[in-house]
Amino acid sequence: MSAVIEVANVSKAFGPKVVLNNVNLAVEQGESLVIMGGSGTGKTVLLRIIMGLLAPDQGHVVVDGKNIQELKTEELFEVRKQIGMCFQMAALFDSMSVFENVAFALKRHTKMTKKEIAVRVDECLAMVGLRGSDNLKPAELSGGMKRRVGFARAIALKPKILLFDEPTTGLDPVMTDVIGRIILDLKHELGVTSITVTHDLKSAFMIGDRVALIFQGNCLAIEAPEVFKANPNPVIQQFLQGDADGPFLQDPPPPKRAPLPENNPVSTMEDPHT
Amino acid sequence: MFESFNRIGESLMLFFSQAGDFTVISARALRAIPKRPFDLENLMRQFVAVGVNSIPVVLLTGLAVSMVFAVQLAFGFKQFQAQGLASSVEGLAVVRELAPVITGLMMSGRVGSAMAAELGTMQVTEQIDALECLATDPIHFLFVPRLLASLVMLPLLTGLAIYIGYWGGHLILVNVEGQSSYTFAHEFYKLIGTRDLRIALTKSMVFGLIIALVGCWRGYRTRGGAEGVGNAPTSSVVTSSLWILISDFFLTKLMLV
Repeated sequence: MSAVIEVANVSKAFGPKVVLNNVNLAVEQGESLVIMGGSGTGKTVLLRIIMGLLAPDQGHVVVDGKNIQELKTEELFEVRKQIGMCFQMAALFDSMSVFENVAFALKRHTKMTKKEIAVRVDECLAMVGLRGSDNLKPAELSGGMKRRVGFARAIALKPKILLFDEPTTGLDPVMTDVIGRIILDLKHELGVTSITVTHDLKSAFMIGDRVALIFQGNCLAIEAPEVFKANPNPVIQQFLQGDADGPFLQDPPPPKRAPLPENNPVSTMEDPHT
Repeated sequence: MFESFNRIGESLMLFFSQAGDFTVISARALRAIPKRPFDLENLMRQFVAVGVNSIPVVLLTGLAVSMVFAVQLAFGFKQFQAQGLASSVEGLAVVRELAPVITGLMMSGRVGSAMAAELGTMQVTEQIDALECLATDPIHFLFVPRLLASLVMLPLLTGLAIYIGYWGGHLILVNVEGQSSYTFAHEFYKLIGTRDLRIALTKSMVFGLIIALVGCWRGYRTRGGAEGVGNAPTSSVVTSSLWILISDFFLTKLMLV
């Protein structure tokens, strides 16, 4: 199988802070890769470099055989038509309705008639379970609905690749599961290659064919979920267990306190006048 | 000592880098005008936002400024027993200076700041990145309709300001100062030639260009969340007002030669 996305020796620093340090990974046709890592470890930066929104300091990214960093603007736009990007906070155009958001790329990049666009928008909204919400404005949507409209907008042009930037952050556990299922449905129905950046372990293992962990700018492991779970690396194990103690954090966490005995209330305010 | 040199050097570097960035973005915006696709719907929305919605502001400020100027002229010329000249000078001042400059300054506050705030919000909420990801050039999609709307609407609004300026002068010089309506109408246009109309329209087009480019550029380059979005309109109004006044001097000097 050939790699649809290839990230080779990519490094990126913002001032003195090195965010990515010689990252290498390849995603094959139809594969779903999940990238995990602590906050501020450069996962979103990696997605932005793949989209060509940021230029790496070193290395390069090849998408569908084209080196993103060497493309002219028009050529880059052609590649981007093959990629659907779902932003962390959805990034919906707030002056437009749900319909206009989803129809945006169809109106600009295809010669579809108004009727055909309406049918395609309806299809996309149905895929994310939002049929009938065409006329709502982004301000009228909940966080989960916004993400789903963002998905619908991303799939409107039938892209070959989907990139999800923390699609479940800030959502309740039920909505997190819904979003995970939608991503899985999109993967099976559209057969797209996808990269998902997430902190949520449950959806990560549900979505991913392979799971990667970025730690201190490096890609620690890229493995199938079962192999990843069994990986003895202490950083991976600490991340999986969600324990504050261990090598994952650079700054030491606050010390663990012993739990209070059950019959001792936490605080009883005594009235000084009694 | 070295520290102050350092600070001056840093400020100069910042100024030149911003001026360079503004020039590059402006050139990209002007070059993007003939590019496809033409978004007529978006353009119409901007015509309404820049032009139609600005009519009350232009009418009120145009009327107020022309009335104040007429009061000053009537008082001044009365000192020399030359009240008849007030209408002619009022006409000249309204057409050449007051209408284009006041319209430009008001539009900088009303429209330029709105452009900076809108694009600034889009920048910090990743909507501009989303445009890029949807294979859409943000300069083409965001700058061009605003630029065209400003280029077309500023001259029209200036024309409106000249029209209301006539009636502002009429109100003071005819209704208050007692000139005859016929004399005022005759004298108002006496010193005005086609060159003056050309000056007014050229100025207003240049002001429209400044307002749209500065407003969009400030918004597009917004960084730093809510604080950045808050600073963008202020900075846009200050910068474009300054450039309107500076360019007004040079345009007047050039076009009156």
